[in-house]
Amino acid sequence: MTGMKLKLIYPEEKIKEPILSKLCKTFDVDINIRKANVQENIGWLELEMTGDESEIENAIKWLQQQGVEVSPLEGQVFTE
Amino acid sequence: MAKIKALKCKECGREYPVEPLHVCEFCFGPLEVEYDYDEIKKNISRDKIKKGPVSLWRYVDLLPVENPTVGLNAGFTPLVKAENLGKELGLNNLYIKDDSVNHPTLSFKDRVVAVALSKAKEFGFDTAACASTGNLANSVSALAASAGMNCYVFIPSNLETNKIIGSLVFNPVVVAVDGNYDDVNRLSSEVANEFGWAFVNINLRPFYSEGSKTLAFEVAEQLGWKTPDAVVAPLASGSLYTKIWKGFNEFKKVGILEENEKMPRMYGAQALGCSPIYKAFKEGRDWITPEKPDTIAKSIAIGNPADGPYAVKVTRESNGDMEVATNEEIIEGIKLLARTEGIFTETAGGTTIAVLKKFAEKGVFDKDEVVVAYITGNGYKTMEVLEGHLNKPIHIKPTLAEFKEKVVGQTINK
Ligand SMILES: Cc1ncc(COP(=O)(O)O)c(C=O)c1O
Ligand SMILES: [Zn+2]
Repeated sequence: MTGMKLKLIYPEEKIKEPILSKLCKTFDVDINIRKANVQENIGWLELEMTGDESEIENAIKWLQQQGVEVSPLEGQVFTE
Repeated sequence: MAKIKALKCKECGREYPVEPLHVCEFCFGPLEVEYDYDEIKKNISRDKIKKGPVSLWRYVDLLPVENPTVGLNAGFTPLVKAENLGKELGLNNLYIKDDSVNHPTLSFKDRVVAVALSKAKEFGFDTAACASTGNLANSVSALAASAGMNCYVFIPSNLETNKIIGSLVFNPVVVAVDGNYDDVNRLSSEVANEFGWAFVNINLRPFYSEGSKTLAFEVAEQLGWKTPDAVVAPLASGSLYTKIWKGFNEFKKVGILEENEKMPRMYGAQALGCSPIYKAFKEGRDWITPEKPDTIAKSIAIGNPADGPYAVKVTRESNGDMEVATNEEIIEGIKLLARTEGIFTETAGGTTIAVLKKFAEKGVFDKDEVVVAYITGNGYKTMEVLEGHLNKPIHIKPTLAEFKEKVVGQTINK
C-alpha cells in the first residue's frame, strides 16, 4: 500500500461526469479529497490516492485517458 | 539549530520537524522554514555580513543551512547601474541585478540549488535529482558533480539530446521517461517519495526556495543597505518572486535595514503564452486557473504554478502590479538589454525587460525612483530564439574600396 498526493485538473467538458466515482469502482484505490475548486469552465482538486502502486498507476493512466490532467501536488516541477 | 524553529504549513500553520518534508499532511499546503528571528537578530550584523564570503553564503544566518558545502561561489552577482537603458526608459536610477553570470551555470538556479544540496548533505543524502531540461538541470548536474553526489535528471523521452548537453556534460544519469511532461512530473514526485533522494524542488523545496531570498539581501547590501522603490522580476512557479519579497522583509525584521525602511513595490513579469498568475491577479482571484504554456520563454513556462497564489498576494500587499510580454516583445527585450547594457539574457530576462519597459511607459515609476530589474538567466543558453531577429553581417571583398563603400558608407554617422 502506498499513497500519492495528486492534483487533478478537469477540462470543461468533463466537469459534469462522475469520474472519481467511476474510478473507485474500476480500480482498487481509495481517494481522500482535501481541496477542490470547480468553476464553469475548469475544475481542479487535490487528493490523496491510496492503494497498491500498480493499481494507482493504472488509475492515473485511466484518468489521463478520460482527459483529466494529473500532476503532482507540487504543481509543475518541470521547467525547460 | 537555534536559528530554525520548525517547518510550518503556509496554509494552516501546523508545525513539522526540520526534515526533508514539503507538504502539510493535513491540508496539503506547502511547508516553509520558520526562523527564530529574535535569535538571528542577536547574531547578524552588517559588519559580519561584509566580512563574510563573497557569495550568497554571507547571509547564512538567514538561510536554512548550518554548514554550507555546495555552491560556495554561487551568488553575489553584479548590481549594474543601467545608465543607457535608464535613459531610454526615462529612469535615472535603474539597476540590473545580473544573475546571468551566476556561478557555476549562469542562472539564478545556482542559488537555490546551492542551498538545497548543502542541506541535502546535512541530511545525509548522497543522491541529488530533478526533473528539468533547462537551467535547473544544468545547476543540479554541475553542483552535484562538484559535491561528489550521484545525480539523476528526469526528462521526457521525445526530447532531442542536444537540448540537454549543458547538463549531460556533468555526467548525471539522465532518465528519459516514456511519456509527456505531466508523466515526468508525476513520476519524479513518486520517486522522491519512495527513494529518499534529494529532489531539489520536491522534497527539499522548503530549503531550496529560501535560496532566492539572497537576491533581495544582495540588492539591499549593494544599494548601501537600502531597499529599491520598485522591483521587476519574472514568475514561473512564483517562488523566486515571493522569496525576493520575503528577503527584503526579513532584512528589516532582523535589523539589517532601518526600522522605517520602505518595502519595494513588486512588479511581476510573465509571458503572454503562459500567464496564469498574471490572470489571477488581474481578475482579482486568489486561486490559479492552470493553462497549457505556449511561449518561447520556456524557462518560465509553468502552467500550474505552485506558488502562484502567494505571488498574487505579494503583488497586492506591496502595491505592485503584473504585466505580460508577447514573443516579439520578449525578443525585443533581449535585444534592448544587450544593445544598451551589453548584457545577454535569455527569454526570462527578455520578458522582464519587456515588462519593465511597459511599466516605465505607463509611468508607474517616478523618474528618480530606484528600480531593480532581476535578470535571472543567460542568453547564450537559448540563442536559437534570436535566429532571424538580428542584423546580418555586411559581406565585402577584401579591398579598401569596398570597405569604404559598403561599410563606412552604410554605418558611420548613421
Ligand atoms: C531564468 C529563470 N528565471 C526565472 C525563473 C522563475 O522561477 P520561479 O519558478 O521561482 O518563479 C526560472 C525558473 O524556472 C528561470 O529558469
Ligand atoms: Zn496545513
